[in-house]
Amino acid sequence: MAESRSVKFLGLLRALLRHRVDFLVVGGVAAQLEGAPILTLDLDVLYDKAPENLGRLLAALRELNACYRDPAGRHIEPDLAKLETLRLHLLRTDLGALDVLGEIGNGQTYQDLVDRTVSYELGEVRVRVLELAAVIETKEQANREKDRAVLLVLRQTLRMKTQVLADLLLGQKEDGK
Amino acid sequence: MRQPSQPSDIPEPPFPPAESPDGVDLTLIQWTLSLTPLERLELLQDWVDGLAELRDGRVAER
Repeated sequence: MAESRSVKFLGLLRALLRHRVDFLVVGGVAAQLEGAPILTLDLDVLYDKAPENLGRLLAALRELNACYRDPAGRHIEPDLAKLETLRLHLLRTDLGALDVLGEIGNGQTYQDLVDRTVSYELGEVRVRVLELAAVIETKEQANREKDRAVLLVLRQTLRMKTQVLADLLLGQKEDGK
Repeated sequence: MRQPSQPSDIPEPPFPPAESPDGVDLTLIQWTLSLTPLERLELLQDWVDGLAELRDGRVAER
């Protein structure tokens, strides 16, 4: 399959799920799924580094013809050793840019964050997504210019989302009187 | 004799602010919060596809 000019989010998620990869959706797509109007051109996932999961992840990446986005233009494919040791894998695939991360923020892993997720059903696909408050925290920890640029929108979205939920709960309480 | 007030005399209720004090567009956030997660992902996909079309100099027929 030819490399996609734009990322196909659902296609990438389906491929990972087909291979039973344990992962969390993080970054811009997580923020968007949580309601923040953030534009991103790749899918970021945080993967579980358990040995059995690395094999499943590698199989999914092979199906997607993944290779590193190498500025020098070399063709370098991910392998088990790289998935085990490197923190960051910026890949191009048949379905667009996929960033596969072993850690985010200040070194937080899948195990650290799996309890701070929301499960979303996206058509036939069910994925775990990092909750907005945790997305904000990891971007604050990373503290890069590009992260700081979106923090205003993320924090405002969290405030409004919290208010919407509070109003809903209040409405339910008053209806129950 | 005093005429009854015309509708135009009634002060309009103030619009809720469209921007936060730090310039964040609140209407966009309200809009995305009103969507389902799947609709949010489809919206993102539309943006990305639209950008790719612009980059390629193509205009999609809608």
